[in-house]
Amino acid sequence: MTVATTKPGGVSRRRAPLLGTFRHGYVAPAALLVAGLLYAPFLWTVYLSFTSYDGLGDPEWTGLANFGRLLEDPALLTSLRNTLIWVAGTMLLPVGLGLLIAVLSYDLKHGVWYRLPFMLPYALSGAGLALVWSPILSHGGMVNLLFGVDTAFLQEEPTNTLALLLVWTWQQLGVNTLLFVVGLQSIPKAPIEAARIDGASGWQLFRRVIWPLMAPLTAVVVGLALVAGLKTFDIVWVMTQGGPGRNSETLAVTMYRDTFVASEYGYGSAVAVMLTVVTGLASYLYLRRQVGGTS
Amino acid sequence: MTRSRRLRMATLSVAAISLILAGCSSGEDPKAGKTELTLYNDKGAWSKYFEEMGSLSKQKIGLGMKPVGYTDSAGYQAFIKASFRTDVKPDLFSWQTGGMLAEIVKQKQVAETTEVWQEAIKNGDLSQDVASYYTVDGKQYCVPMNVAYWGMFYNKKIFDQHELKPPTTWDELIKIADTLKQNKLPAFYHTSVLFSFVWFEQLLAGTDPDLYDKLSTGQAKYTDPGVVAVMERWKSMIDAGYFVNPGDKTDPGDVLKNGKAAMVSFGTFFNTSMTQRAMKPGEDYGFFVIPNVNASLPKTSMIFESGPLCSQTKAADPAANMKYLKWWVGEEAQQKWSIARGDVSANPKVKGDDEALNKITEDAGKGEYRLVNRYFEATPPPILTAALDGFGAFLVKPDSYPKVLEDIQRAADEYWSTHR
Repeated sequence: MTVATTKPGGVSRRRAPLLGTFRHGYVAPAALLVAGLLYAPFLWTVYLSFTSYDGLGDPEWTGLANFGRLLEDPALLTSLRNTLIWVAGTMLLPVGLGLLIAVLSYDLKHGVWYRLPFMLPYALSGAGLALVWSPILSHGGMVNLLFGVDTAFLQEEPTNTLALLLVWTWQQLGVNTLLFVVGLQSIPKAPIEAARIDGASGWQLFRRVIWPLMAPLTAVVVGLALVAGLKTFDIVWVMTQGGPGRNSETLAVTMYRDTFVASEYGYGSAVAVMLTVVTGLASYLYLRRQVGGTS
Repeated sequence: MTRSRRLRMATLSVAAISLILAGCSSGEDPKAGKTELTLYNDKGAWSKYFEEMGSLSKQKIGLGMKPVGYTDSAGYQAFIKASFRTDVKPDLFSWQTGGMLAEIVKQKQVAETTEVWQEAIKNGDLSQDVASYYTVDGKQYCVPMNVAYWGMFYNKKIFDQHELKPPTTWDELIKIADTLKQNKLPAFYHTSVLFSFVWFEQLLAGTDPDLYDKLSTGQAKYTDPGVVAVMERWKSMIDAGYFVNPGDKTDPGDVLKNGKAAMVSFGTFFNTSMTQRAMKPGEDYGFFVIPNVNASLPKTSMIFESGPLCSQTKAADPAANMKYLKWWVGEEAQQKWSIARGDVSANPKVKGDDEALNKITEDAGKGEYRLVNRYFEATPPPILTAALDGFGAFLVKPDSYPKVLEDIQRAADEYWSTHR
């Protein structure tokens, strides 16, 4: 607005009415799509979470019954525990190791060649990744045969969740490394040089100078990892279907299973609402602390 | 200027809305008679066979058929349920018998086929026995898309090597398992994923088929002594080392071919897996009826499954759908369908290439077995989901069977409290 008034050019004056005329029209298709494909299904899901519904006939209003059941469902507790393992594991492994590899390799002469092997698995889709690793980790699979062990990696809990997390790390490590390398390469050099002149080096230099300078990028990487951990679905569904006996389910898998496999659309919607609240709340609290704190 | 602006705004809005609505329209004139039907199904792997049937029907009755195959059963069922509420409807669709069929009949979403059944039974194209799986409140709905009898596929080379013969009693079967175990070979295949119910249904149906039926209809409990005894027997067989690892992800077809297990319990459709692996019946593999655990039962219990082919009540062209279903159950269509898949047919007149399977169909048609509806169809979906999870957990920790049965019964109590 300020720009338009301080730059009295014919261009601005001619464009203003044109933009004014079309602005609703331009936004309409996107707004309709978002409203129709995102907001309407979301509101429908919230409504269903207060009903009993098997996908046929009409939903039957049951108030808070589904949410009451959530509190007593032992499978949901397992699912919550596994989701927490996923969130913590995602922070520790793909993010933590990614940072380590980035720090170790970013200023090396041929650093890119050290990072390349970690990047390649990122080309695989989540489902493809799971299909490849399934026979490797299954009971009697390649790892068992290769090392002569008889471990059921995908059967026992919480070993199965940890095994899946390692597979996920294998794929995600590269992209996190890349993001951290970009961050390391883009931070200003002057404060680092100044710190070096003052005698800082090694861990002290990293902890006191480099790490704080990378804070904005770290906030994004950790934020993305947090959401990715909370919504974990594909790798679990393809490799274990959340089993055996629901012991490797995450909240997203529980939501899918209850809705579409058990045809309990109401209860599944309640899980979906809970997952949305947890993800929204975790993201809000984290970003408020990170972004809010720096602004 | 104002009028021009309004005009432009209106044009843009109409264009945007048309764009969205275009995506939702079916693009067909619903009043015109159909010359090609869509057949939605959850048997994506059978697309080739459906296409062959579509070409044949076009040639024989002037009505083509185009399959739309899903491979994920849950996603498929969600789509079909959603289609009941919209104008985008499949002409024909596959479904499940048992509780799932009863559900959509109750909602008046599936077209009655009593007339098709009466005519087919009169012509000898369908049997009265099979009709019971398609009957809800005295009327028939859908027709059989496929049928399968469950028994034991065995690796003939392993049997020959150890001088074993297909058993006729349960004790003989266990003796075979012991012999194989002594030779460090697992006798049976089982899995903790999806098909975790197979041994439960087999052991229960072979011990007390009445209890099996009562369990399906909520008249018995999973914690009843008869069911507990079945779980104990199953556990004792696992403890005895008769089974492969339940977490082994090897395809059961490969398990049998590579001799990882000597026997795989499956439906006759497993025959397709065998022929796809270039295995020859009678030479590389064989099939036998699994003997009853309880030798005093009058008939051998045989697990039977049948997948329905249905038409929606509000179909675009109900007459064309009925014409297609009538043709589908006839000998000409079924002969082609049976040969293409190497599987048995619901039509007793049809003979396949495999003599062992032909005999099963013939004997079943004569009423020599007590047909028991497969657990997957016989059990209402919420109980089934809990049971599949429970059996999966049991296979990993066989000691957990009392808790597993309690968990399944909890799901059953909840379901039957509102579905009596």
